[in-house]
Formats: sequence, C-alpha cells, structure tokens
Amino acid sequence: MAFGDKKMNWKIWLLIFCILGSLLAIFPLDFTQGIEITSVELDSISYQQGLRQGMKIQSIDGQTISSLDDYRTSLERFPTESSEKITITTDQGIIILFTNDTLKISVKEIPRNRIKTGLDLSGGARALIKAEGKELTNTELKDLISVTEERLNVYGLNDVQIKPVRDLSGNNFMLIEIAGSTPEELETLISQQGKFEAKIGDEVVFEGGKKDITYVARTGDQSGIYSCNGDNSNGYVCQFRFSISLSQDAAKNHANITCALGTNSSLPQYLDKQLELYLDDVLVSALYIGRDLQCSETTQISISGSGSGATQEEAFENAEIDMKQLQTVMISGSLPFKLQIEKLDTISPLLGKEFTNTIILAGLAAILAVGIAILIRYKKIKLSLAVLLTSLSEVLIILGVSALFNRSLDLPAIAGIIAAIGTGVDSQIIILDESRMTNVSLRERIKRALTIIMGTYITTLFALLPLMWAGAGLLKGFAITTIIGISVGVFITRPAFSEIVKKIVKE
Amino acid sequence: MYSTTGEFIQKDITLTGGTSITFFPEQYVDINELSNFLDGKIPEFIIRELSDFQSGRQKAIVVETISEPKEIKIVLEEFLNYKLTNENSSTESTGSSLGESFYKQLVYAIILSFVLMSIIVFIIFRSKIPSFAVVISAFADIIMTLATINLLGMKISSAGITAILMLIGYSVDSDIMLTTRLLKRHGNTDENLKSAFKTGITMTLTSIIAITVALFIIQSVSNVLSQIFIILIIGLSFDILNTWITNVSILKWHLETKK
Repeated sequence: MAFGDKKMNWKIWLLIFCILGSLLAIFPLDFTQGIEITSVELDSISYQQGLRQGMKIQSIDGQTISSLDDYRTSLERFPTESSEKITITTDQGIIILFTNDTLKISVKEIPRNRIKTGLDLSGGARALIKAEGKELTNTELKDLISVTEERLNVYGLNDVQIKPVRDLSGNNFMLIEIAGSTPEELETLISQQGKFEAKIGDEVVFEGGKKDITYVARTGDQSGIYSCNGDNSNGYVCQFRFSISLSQDAAKNHANITCALGTNSSLPQYLDKQLELYLDDVLVSALYIGRDLQCSETTQISISGSGSGATQEEAFENAEIDMKQLQTVMISGSLPFKLQIEKLDTISPLLGKEFTNTIILAGLAAILAVGIAILIRYKKIKLSLAVLLTSLSEVLIILGVSALFNRSLDLPAIAGIIAAIGTGVDSQIIILDESRMTNVSLRERIKRALTIIMGTYITTLFALLPLMWAGAGLLKGFAITTIIGISVGVFITRPAFSEIVKKIVKE
Repeated sequence: MYSTTGEFIQKDITLTGGTSITFFPEQYVDINELSNFLDGKIPEFIIRELSDFQSGRQKAIVVETISEPKEIKIVLEEFLNYKLTNENSSTESTGSSLGESFYKQLVYAIILSFVLMSIIVFIIFRSKIPSFAVVISAFADIIMTLATINLLGMKISSAGITAILMLIGYSVDSDIMLTTRLLKRHGNTDENLKSAFKTGITMTLTSIIAITVALFIIQSVSNVLSQIFIILIIGLSFDILNTWITNVSILKWHLETKK
C-alpha cells in the first residue's frame, strides 16, 4: 500500500529527525578549543576591557590555552609589582589589558556535552529565604534579590542564580542557587540584614550603601591584612584595614560631629570619643579618631578591625572573612527587614560523578530488563529491540530538550524521566497487544491503541499540573520532565513505534 | 514521637523540618558505635549507610535529626575528630514551618491531581460507573500503599510524595486500557477481559521488574530515588489487585446489569 508506506516513512523520519536534533542539542558541533569564562567581576579591569561571561579564551600572550592548567600557568605570575600587558585571544576577538592584579574572572573547561546536572548531583548550595514576620511585596522581593546578588558578587561568588518563588500557600520566597563549592559563611552572607552604622557616641556619622559610601577599596595596598600577632597559648589576632570614600554629605556630617568632641586625656593625639562600627546592631570595631581629623570634611577614611583564632592561619582566615563581610555590607547597604532562612542545602561536589554514573547504570539496566521481559512475553527479538530502541530514544529526546532549554537535571527530574519511560513502556505494550488482535484491520487496531494511549496521556498530564506550584517549585523538575517525556512519547516515539510494529507484524 | 501524632503517615525531616547530614568518612565508621555515641546527645535521629554499588565499600553516612545543623555538626565532629566542611559533607535543613507547609501543599497537590484525573476519566468514558471504578481503583492503590509504608515504618519524604503522584499515572494506565477494551469493543466480555488481563499484567509486571532492577542498583547511593522506587513497587503490586479484582468486578457487574 503506497499511501501507508509514505505515512510510515513520515512518522519514522520524524523520530529520526528528533533523535538527531537531540544529539546535536546535547553534543553541539562546537570544536572551539580553550576554556570558557563563567563569570567576570563587575568593575574589574577585565570587565572594563570587554571580557564577558560565555566567551572562550583560546590563547593568552600567544600561548594556546586548552586546559585549566594552561590557564593557571599563563597567569601564575600575577599579582605583580607593576602593570603588565596581557593579550587574550577569545572566540569573539582579541582583548588587551594592562594590570598588576589577577584577572578577577572565573573559568571552566568547555564541557563536552550540554547536559547540566542539578545541585543535588554536581554539588552547590540552595537556600529559600523569607522576611521575618512579614510577607514581602513584589517590589521588596526584587530589591532583596538585587541586594543579595550584589553581596554574593562582591563576595566573589559568581555562578549564582537568584529568583523569586511563590508557592501554593501564597508564600513569597527568594530562592538562591549556587553551583560548585560553597563558602562556610554562606549562611551569614545571605541571611544578614546588613545594617552597617558608623557612630560617634549616639550620632550616626555614615551608613552602609551608596548614599554615604561612594567607594570601598578591596584590592591592592588599600585593602588587606597588615599584621598578625599572638602565641600558641593565648591564640592569635590578625588586623585588617581597608580604605573607603565618603560622600560630601557624610563628610560634612563627620566634620560637624567631630567639632563638638574634646581631646582624649590619656592619648592626646586622639579625640575623646571613638568611631564605633556596628553591624546589625553589634559593635564590630571601635577606631580612634586622630586630632588632625577634627572638624575636617574628610572623604577618605581607613576602616580597620581584627579576627582571632587558635592558630595564625585561623586568625588570618577569620580576619579575611570579617573584612570581606564588612566590605560587602558597606557596598550593598542594608535591607529594610530581617531575613530568615527557611531551607538551606549545601551539597558536597564529592559524590557527584559516581552518583551520576550509578544512575545511568540503573537506567540502562532497567531498560534492558524491560527488553528481556518483552522478549519472554512476545518471543520476538525484533519487537523487544523495537521497545528497547523506543525507550532509549525517549530518554535521548528528553535529555535533548533539557539541553536545548538549558534545564538542569536534578534528582526530581531523573525521577521524572523514569516515570515517563515507565508509562512509555506501558503504552508500547498496549500497541503490541492491540496490533496482534485479529478481528479488525491492522490500521484500526493501531488506531484503537492510540486512543487508549491518548486517554492515559491526558489524565497523567493533568495529574502532574499541581506539582508545578506545590512546595515552592522544588519538585517542578519532576513535573516538567515527566510532561516533556510523556508528550515526546505520545507525539513522536509512539507513532513511529506503531509503524515499526506494523511492519514487524506484517512480516 | 513528633512524627506520629495524629497523622496517617510518618513524615521524614523534609516534611517535618530538620536536618540531614551526609558525610564521607575518611576511615570506616561503625554505625552502631556512632549510634551509641549520638544517643542522648541528639534528640531523635536515624543513621543510614551508603555504599559503593560494585565494591560494597562504605561511601557515606547519613544522619537525620530534628535538630539544627549547627548542633548536630558539633556532636558529629566530636565523634569524628575532624571538622565537617561543605567539601567533606552535605547538609540539608528545612525549617519546621516550611516543612509543614510543604506537606500541606503536596497533600493538596495530590488531592488536586486526583480530582483532575477523575474529571478527565469521566470525560473519556462518559459513563458514571466505569469511571467511578477507575477512580476507586486508583484511590485504593494509594491508600493501600500508604498503609503498607506505614506498617513498614518508612518515613515518607517530599520525593516520596511524587512517587504517589506517579502511582496515579501508572494505576490509571492499566485501568483505562481495561475499561476501553471492555466497554468500547464488541464481542464476548470474557474474551475481551482475558486479552485485557494479558496486556495489563504484562504492563504492570514489566514496570515492577524494571523498577526492582533499578532499585537494586540505586539503593546504595540515593535515598531519594530508593524511596520513590520502593513506593512504586508496593503501589504497582496493589494495582494488580485493584485493577483485576476491584475494577473488573465493578465493570462486569455494570456490563451485566446493562444487559
């Protein structure tokens, strides 16, 4: 039957087309050598000269870069004493910059495939955050997100995604997802209100945020740890220092308040009150004010503080953390409400790869088991192979669609693939059995099978919908993947499968 | 005790709030020893061991408790004698109010799914009793599965609840097939039933076999997926009972009274 054959070709061609498309989506024909930039620190020289996220670095100063090791060796010498010229060849042109510091970018090797694994497989952190004792409006939530983004960026965390989520009960959350390894102080970083105040007596001289503080030095000799002392029995203390620039208004404020002060009786080179620094209403540091600063509208101020620990390294690390936190809130300013962490997951990247391999192994074993079960029941190797190939192509197309839409595969998504393949096999068995009934024409039999399948498809589809919103969307991956999977099954793989079965049955 | 008060199922910390810490011990850790050590220091806890699928070597230890991450970390560090960092351990914590709200929403999602599924089934068959039979059978699958989970003392997680949703899908698959074959086909009811039974049993058994194989491999590395698989195996087994006894009886009775 010529017509039937044509139709058969069309359905099978569609499947082949989708399989090829998925392969292309997963393994793009991109033979660019080099490493990819995952993030560029804002305001850095690299950013100013045009390095951007997603660019691929091919060579540095004429040396080909094909691995992270190459990259590290080529820039090993930084930071240097004086500025040096660096020529970076990227896939989007050559960028030349002069610097004595590191590039302030993070990079990764270009992945061989575009399947992204979720945090629960590849490691990272996830946090759900709420305002304490109040519901956030959409604008407040937006502000919260931009402040948090800035804080994490200032802190040096770049592979970060922050988005608002609303759940079925109408709660508003901020969802933070950070890929890769996460700092131990993440909790403080994302949950602190970040109210910074510099006070003399009861009067506030300046606050954190751009209104009062126009610049915070974070690199070079303007910022860093300058001394450590102590011993093994009493512990160590390390001092940090960094300079900031005040706005004219804040400087005037400083002048007015210091004019009213007297001289310190025991330390006559200083004024009688200290500049006290408060972070979320806790005193973190108190600085003496030099007499030469009295009544002066100074815009340059040096902030100092300290960190302590049992060993010198620990003290150094703590001082560094304290300094970074202080710098972060000085730049990003305060939030108008207190925050509460509702959920915090930090997943170690240690198990990831093995985990993924075990899941692939389990998936293949399950599909193989299906093949054997089909072989036992129908005693035809061709039918069994057809089921195997259909199921595998469903997995492939689901992965292809995920890669195409940049969706990452987490555990719920993998459960979704399993669910989709499971119902897929069910439908294939229905097609197999219907096609073997002899009372009506083969075309009619396949049509009947597809009616049943359409019924089960629509029911499952609707049953999955509520999960898109329940539980702050954390199980959305499951719902979306299953929906993609069963849709691929109904519209692409099953029609092709029934054509293949028709052919096999006709033989 | 917190998890058994007045609830039909026992919830794990993803639904009650609490902390789960997974750490990768540098040296072999005897679980009993750890358990004795934690006794009295942490309010309520469960310890599990994850091992390599091929070698069976101990890979990780999971401790679940209702306490805060900080409290449990201190006690564990005391036992292990080294610091737990974000590199050598994974921590998942859920606030109790969020856990409760998750639970409510997921239960709500299941009920909503169930209602939507029922409506679609009624639209497909446009006949009250057969549609009712499909719904009853799916409902029985869920209730019997939950009861079994409870009897086994399993604590259900938020992922486990997705398994219940999957179960609705699988259950409806075989029921719709059965109902279509019996209602919309001419010919002898018993013949139709026989062929439907053959198809349905193949569907369900194939699923059970595939999931059991996957469970065997995955149980050493993932609690989340293991629980989903265990719930599916239990649910599918009950589905055989409910489809081929409950649903078939109602359908046969319906077809006979129609005559």
